[in-house]
Amino acid sequence: MVSTFIRHELKAFWRSKNTGKSIAVRITMFFLLAYLFGCILLAGIGMDKMLEFAFPNEDLVKSFCGIILIYFLADLLMRLQLQELPTLRVQPYLHLPIKRNILVRYLAITAVLSIFNLWPFLLFFPFIFKIIATDSGLLVALAFAVAIVGVSVFNNYLALYLKRRSNLNGWIFLVAAAVLILITTADFTWHLYSLHNISYAFFGRLLTMPALALIPVILGIVMYYFNFLYLRQNLYLENLTAHKVKRYKSNTEIPFLSNFGTIGDLAANEIKLVLRNKRSRSSLIIGLFFMFYGLIFYTNKSLGQGWFLFAGMYMTGAFIVNYGQFMFGWQASHFDGILVSKTSFSDFVKAKYLLFTVVSVIAFLLTTPYVYFGWHILLVHFVMCIWNIGVTITIVLFFANRNYKRIDLSKSAAMNWEGVGASQLLLTFPLILTPYIIYGPFATFKHPDIGLAVLAMVGVIAIVTRNYWIKQLEADYYSKRYKIAEGFRNK
Amino acid sequence: MIEIKNLKKAYNNVTVVDIPSLTISKGESVGLVGNNGAGKTTLFRMILDLILPESGEISSNGEPVAGHENWKTYTASYLDEGFLIEYLTPEEYLYFIGSLHQQSRPQVDEALTALGDFFNGEILNRGKYIRDLSKGNQCKVGVASCLLQNPQILVLDEPFANIDPSTQFRLKNMLKDANKSKGITTIVSSHDLNHITDVCDRILLMEKGVIIKDIATSSSTLSELESYFGVGQTLGSAPVVGIDQEENH
Repeated sequence: MVSTFIRHELKAFWRSKNTGKSIAVRITMFFLLAYLFGCILLAGIGMDKMLEFAFPNEDLVKSFCGIILIYFLADLLMRLQLQELPTLRVQPYLHLPIKRNILVRYLAITAVLSIFNLWPFLLFFPFIFKIIATDSGLLVALAFAVAIVGVSVFNNYLALYLKRRSNLNGWIFLVAAAVLILITTADFTWHLYSLHNISYAFFGRLLTMPALALIPVILGIVMYYFNFLYLRQNLYLENLTAHKVKRYKSNTEIPFLSNFGTIGDLAANEIKLVLRNKRSRSSLIIGLFFMFYGLIFYTNKSLGQGWFLFAGMYMTGAFIVNYGQFMFGWQASHFDGILVSKTSFSDFVKAKYLLFTVVSVIAFLLTTPYVYFGWHILLVHFVMCIWNIGVTITIVLFFANRNYKRIDLSKSAAMNWEGVGASQLLLTFPLILTPYIIYGPFATFKHPDIGLAVLAMVGVIAIVTRNYWIKQLEADYYSKRYKIAEGFRNK
Repeated sequence: MIEIKNLKKAYNNVTVVDIPSLTISKGESVGLVGNNGAGKTTLFRMILDLILPESGEISSNGEPVAGHENWKTYTASYLDEGFLIEYLTPEEYLYFIGSLHQQSRPQVDEALTALGDFFNGEILNRGKYIRDLSKGNQCKVGVASCLLQNPQILVLDEPFANIDPSTQFRLKNMLKDANKSKGITTIVSSHDLNHITDVCDRILLMEKGVIIKDIATSSSTLSELESYFGVGQTLGSAPVVGIDQEENH
């Protein structure tokens, strides 16, 4: 039975129309993962050197034992954020003559197959077998290995258990995050206790009593059992589906946009799209996080105005890039409706311009506190905001005409490669390079401010001639819309 | 009103629609029947300019639909949930459709009160987004948005499939009323032979992309269709009724 499940899941993965079909995405994914694991492995191999550097006065093994617990706390928080709940699409199996326990056990056990469970191996095993095995013998090293496996399994199931529970109750996630943050600040800021010492208190004893390694293993098994029980009790459709009707959904109005007629209505619909769906909402939130970009760039004295350009463009245009790169895939599920409705494409596109302009201006206003780092930075932001409104939006919409991949609005954005294709990768180059192509020559000849002025001028010209660009986009769209609509119909 | 000439569409060398000539006049009520894969939805999609035919042309009011937008002002259609904006509430969606046709909110409200029976209290002010409605209720929203547009042509793909029996009868009356008293040209597909022969004056029977029968509805039409669909069964046994899963691509 289990082998049938695995076969089905593999088929689901390979036959899904969106799982990195395009070579470009697969290659990028592969390199990103290889790079990530390479880095972790390097950190693992070089851990003895790093520990010596960080805690020069302490015994190497002692400081190693000290950091394990801290690592696993961070690991837990990261898992809570990023680890996906393994949901075998159980719905088609529930009504079949398959024992409930088999389904549940399968769901619970496959949960171990997560990338996150590879990390501790890469990070700690080199040290364990390089230093501990030579110092204290193979038995102790094995005890460490077993203990780390146990804690990983425990963490794995604890995170999933919390996530499953928070699926039912949104507060649990916040509480867990707050508790974890409290635990770490109590150590590092308030010095109430030392996680380092607590960690050593357990892992240090492994050196003398290797049998203690069974404790984390038992904890892991207990946590697995908790998961198993919880799943068995909640294996009902209502509990498994992510989006449930929770509360009364009211109609919302955006009065400001109603001044713009049909275009305003379309933009208002799109704002509702962004706010009422998980994935689009996260692209907005990521955009808000980019607001802190400036803190990295402006506090670093060695970076010149060229970098400020980049920061300014990203801060005022993060939403345009993050959200716009998947256009019109966001509307894939009702694209047929758009095609037959009485909206012209130019209105459709003008609504996008309106939306992006509004968001970009708001983003600019939010970045005004950076004036603390000098008026010039505000000027750069202003110029880049104009550039985004004039040029970036048009580039993004040009690529939107070339995007044939649908987006499932209900899924979250973390680790979600759905809708990613060559179009998104290609989009990055013109977006980042064009401002530098204009600005670069002036900067090299020591007239960066003239370069800035030219950028602003190009932006203004693009805004003034917007109707021309809309016509170009429209002609382009008419030659591609059947292909777009067909791509969006492919689930 | 709608004229089809030499229309052909094939996927992977399999012809799915092949109609040499078909004219639908103003004020007609046309029913489209045929088994799964007969090409009904594909034909609808071509009439609505959602996919391009391989060859041939469809014109509406004398103007080709492909590449033109005028037909959108007088054609209302609902093929599947993909026509609805799923993250809006039904009211928001209907107001939006109304505004595209220059209707104020009070006008939309007035039109919706007339649909109170049809909605059966399950659509408006229920505090749900369209995506949270059942398929049947989504269909009601789709049909309502069509009627709201005061169209001259109404295109519905299997509107009876997911709705409850009471709503089916109400919908039948609404379609008859739209056709008989408002003069709307209706094109409807269905697997329910009783309903379709009741509502439509003209029945087109499709098989493998070809219209094999074009009959004006009479008292013998139902039994004629039943004998076509009731393969290997005695005449008059239960007609083929079913939800067409395959065509909700």
